[in-house]
Amino acid sequence: MTTTPKIDYEKIKGVHKVPLEELYTSGHRTCQGCESATTMRGFIKASGPRTIVTGATGCMYVANTSYLTTPWIVPWMHTQLGAGGASAVGMAAGVRALQRKGKIKQEKINIINFSGDLGAGDMGIGGISGALQSDYDLLIIMYDNESAANTDIQATGLSIYGAQTTFTPPGSKHRIMQRRWKKNVAGMLAVGHPTCKYVATACATFPPTDYLNKTRKALSIGGPTFIHTYDPCPKGWDYHPRYSNELGELGIKCGIYPLYEIVEGNVIYTWDARKSGKGRIPVKEFLQRQGRFEHLIQEDIDYIQKGVDEMWEEWEIPGVAPLKGILKARI
Amino acid sequence: MTVTMEKPKSGMSDGVYEREELLNGCQAVAQGVCLADVDVIAAYPIRPYTEVMDALSKLIADGAFDAEYIIADSEHSQFEIVKHASSVNARAFGGSSGTGWMYGMEALTVTATDRLPPMFVVGNRALDDPGAFGVEHNDAMAVRDLGWLLCWVTTPQEALEHVLIGYRVAEDKNVRMPMALAIDGAFLTHSQHIVKIPSVAAAKKFLPQYDLAERRLHPDNPISVAPQANEDWVMEIRRQNWEAAKRARGVIKEAYKEFNAIFGERYAQPYFDEYMTDDAETVLIGVGTVAAPGRTAVKRLREKGHKVGYVNLRWFRPFPTEELRACLSRFKSVGVVDRDFAHGSPDNCGILMHEIRSCLYPAKNRPAIVNFIGGLGGRDLSIADAQKMFDITAQAAKKDSMDGYITWIGLRE
Amino acid sequence: MIKRVEVQYRGIFQKNLAKKIGSDIVMIASSMGQRAFSNGRYSDAPERNGIPCKYFAFVSPDLSEEELEAECGAKLEIDEANVSVVLDDTMCKGVEPWGWHGVRPINERVVKDGCLVVITKRPHEELLQFIGKKPYNYRLATLDGEASLAGLWVNKDDLTYEHVLGAIAAVEPTIISIEAVEAYLMKKTKDKKRAEAARAAYNSLRQEAKPPRVKTVTPNEGIVWTHEIPVLPKWFEMQEGAVVPAVPRGFQMGPKGQSRNTGFKRGTTKTQRPAVRFDLCTKCTLCWAECPDECFDPTTDGYYDIEYQYCVGCGKCAEVCPVKECIVMVDELQFHDNNSPWEDWKKDPKTYITSLEAKKGTERVNYPVVTGKGVIVTKGEVMPEGKIVPVRKTEEVEV
Repeated sequence: MTTTPKIDYEKIKGVHKVPLEELYTSGHRTCQGCESATTMRGFIKASGPRTIVTGATGCMYVANTSYLTTPWIVPWMHTQLGAGGASAVGMAAGVRALQRKGKIKQEKINIINFSGDLGAGDMGIGGISGALQSDYDLLIIMYDNESAANTDIQATGLSIYGAQTTFTPPGSKHRIMQRRWKKNVAGMLAVGHPTCKYVATACATFPPTDYLNKTRKALSIGGPTFIHTYDPCPKGWDYHPRYSNELGELGIKCGIYPLYEIVEGNVIYTWDARKSGKGRIPVKEFLQRQGRFEHLIQEDIDYIQKGVDEMWEEWEIPGVAPLKGILKARI
Repeated sequence: MTVTMEKPKSGMSDGVYEREELLNGCQAVAQGVCLADVDVIAAYPIRPYTEVMDALSKLIADGAFDAEYIIADSEHSQFEIVKHASSVNARAFGGSSGTGWMYGMEALTVTATDRLPPMFVVGNRALDDPGAFGVEHNDAMAVRDLGWLLCWVTTPQEALEHVLIGYRVAEDKNVRMPMALAIDGAFLTHSQHIVKIPSVAAAKKFLPQYDLAERRLHPDNPISVAPQANEDWVMEIRRQNWEAAKRARGVIKEAYKEFNAIFGERYAQPYFDEYMTDDAETVLIGVGTVAAPGRTAVKRLREKGHKVGYVNLRWFRPFPTEELRACLSRFKSVGVVDRDFAHGSPDNCGILMHEIRSCLYPAKNRPAIVNFIGGLGGRDLSIADAQKMFDITAQAAKKDSMDGYITWIGLRE
Repeated sequence: MIKRVEVQYRGIFQKNLAKKIGSDIVMIASSMGQRAFSNGRYSDAPERNGIPCKYFAFVSPDLSEEELEAECGAKLEIDEANVSVVLDDTMCKGVEPWGWHGVRPINERVVKDGCLVVITKRPHEELLQFIGKKPYNYRLATLDGEASLAGLWVNKDDLTYEHVLGAIAAVEPTIISIEAVEAYLMKKTKDKKRAEAARAAYNSLRQEAKPPRVKTVTPNEGIVWTHEIPVLPKWFEMQEGAVVPAVPRGFQMGPKGQSRNTGFKRGTTKTQRPAVRFDLCTKCTLCWAECPDECFDPTTDGYYDIEYQYCVGCGKCAEVCPVKECIVMVDELQFHDNNSPWEDWKKDPKTYITSLEAKKGTERVNYPVVTGKGVIVTKGEVMPEGKIVPVRKTEEVEV
């Protein structure tokens, strides 16, 4: 077995050790209970003040920054919907050149971009691929609320099968309009970029401090890194904001949201949902807590359950890469 | 005032010029970028501008200058990389042609509205479809309303010099607008001439360090750039861009004064050159390399006693309204050469024609004005074509109304 | 002559409801032979859960469709409101929909003798402790009911929409008459119950109804409105390149210790606020850790104070708190200030606890996971001081 890789980073050992100071602070126009706001709060708290951030168009741009005000304490800049990767590369290259030429002080400046599931997983995936092939120290965070939430909830490539959005409304003729299966972005990017040393999935509030430490690992390991966060969205998923914290947890525990890190090619499960690991609760327990699945019938839920079971029990590397094995016989 | 093309005055000795090299337009731009000590370059291939990036990577590989050189995954990413590099106070450079330039249009728009001053070279090329490599100006023209500096040059020497001049204007704290340096595909990008390359010292003397100052992104300068704005704010933000474009005219004048002081009287006027226009009655005006056949036709027609002249317009944005109005209203008739199209526009004229007609509208004595659409998709605009254009333009002065008259010069019809 | 209606509502929670009300005012007014149209306040989009929003309906017996549109549609905000319907009474504390808008009084647009119709269980006097004074008389109608909150996809059918139509017919019959409302509802739904609900609301707001629910508010009733409207800078006073200063860095332990975005406080987004029994707190950090709006200020003695001006009332802290009755979501209209609860408690724990429990009352009002599926009302319990009863064990996951 390969030895577990070591990353030299300052681990946050427990909730009482989480830094108290906010660098993304109160006064942003996000929804009540917005988990993506917690994702923003978390990554900048983990990275610290010597950081420059870009935010692609999406909820975390529009909701957070109402002109002439901002919740950001660190330098932040908007970037275009599909330019998450390019914005990070541009800044990282600029900083590196200026430091090498002595125009600014030599120091570690974290370069982070956040983009939504639409920005990073669909439109900007080319740019992120370019970024992950570069040799710049940068982190790209895809906050995944499974919809184009800022334009009032349309399906994206990462929406769950069957979900209601304004593009996929249940109708009298077609109950299920969202027939695409959730795109496996973190796995795709890990497999596609052999020199990228760190890809992870995370949820800002579950398990506690896991996301903060994954952010620090990504920023310490060097080179371009990627974190896919699962962000429950009270507006788009149609649940009362009060229950935001448990939606992420349930999504992970039912296996729909694989929670893992890939460190230099080694997969480390944060929540091993295989039967042989921590196992899984039925997907129904997660789906039934959301108004966007209100129209599903048992047949739909069974279909989702089957897909999730296959992901955890038949993939060669469960939850990460949909490769079921090597066939001996020629077909 | 007749001005012949001024050869670079000072010789090698006094350290203003370092050496001469045979360079095409692309390679000359690359030398300019090298002299400007650019920090970040993002590359992506598309004919005919690609050789700029070929030349730059070789210069970096050989240590001629130090820059981050990024091979982007698309023009959209390429331009965004350049924009964000510029936002952290790094001098940044990019470029493209035709449909590649259009692919990154979103990024070009926000670079202007973010008021960042990177430089882009545009190797003018026909837009798709069908795919065609030849020169056409619609690509660079596409940013004309967005708050860009936009300038055409006619020779590799000018191309090199306008990288320096372009950064000088773009980065001025009263301007801070992105600069598009347009060079005609093939006729300039791939035409090799001997170019006098300025010394590093002279370039440094002319072009100060890029400093975004209070708007640079750095942990020691915490700011938020471009928060989401609603209807309470956008009018005011647009007005700032509008004012900057107006201020750019004055800064351009200063830049050429400073340039001429170091490199010798290279440019008699900042915005455009006039050739044998003192007593001219009939004049052609155009942008880019059509200037060579245009001026040569003037020379030959003058020998036959025709009172003709040529105006080579350099700065399309900001448009030199006052100066051009004063210049063109001295003539009986003006022929505007458009190497672009504007389907369905007023009188179906080209873009340059609309701008010049609009510029002349309030002039006291307005010349007759006709339009020529030619050289699209890379077709020649030869001396013969120019003579034919002069002939038609001269007739316009006699006929009572040939206003808005269009000729597709060189078309099989 | 134009009659203008604004429907003030909680973003997303009442988006479909407000739009339905506005649209049907148009249909009913049209059925009476009037010209009418409706639209939402464009800059409220994208709506966020709880944020104050507006939907409009405009009616005219004489103007052409286009002239009505030109007068009322060519603008984003309503000039004045003959009727202003408030679908959640906590909005009476003022509304701040965006940055640099300021906290505006709920009756800002109500015309002289116009009517503010508030869905509430409270008497006029209680609402008027929060509503700003007007320089002229206007009417305040209390339409009996609770705020109807639902999600985007699962709507709540609790007759609120029918009640509001009946209420408008009562206070401004020239816009929609009760007869037209009933006819429309019967034609559209064939469900007598709905027409009856409209009629009942109509009757409840008639002059002769007992108790009288429509009060004429005179200029000396209500409070002096202290929030001023921000003066927006001129184009040359703004930094170029759409740059704005970041929030200055600043942190120290204790109330208001964390620097925050002073340009947009968001406090008017909450329908409920967390009431904290510090004496029951085990300092587990979860409320502070889970708050999406960073409202908890850690204090030197390990407790977590709340900066209520920035709390949007999501309820996550109450949900994650592992101690029974330690954090409970309480109706926002119970509170008259944004004082630091920790300071009040430190000053005088006994008084703090008794006044807090009085505000909490005997019932705990919450919502099911899918908001549109009703309201959960459970029995509250007054815990003796310091009696810590764990509700759930926070799962320790080895990371």
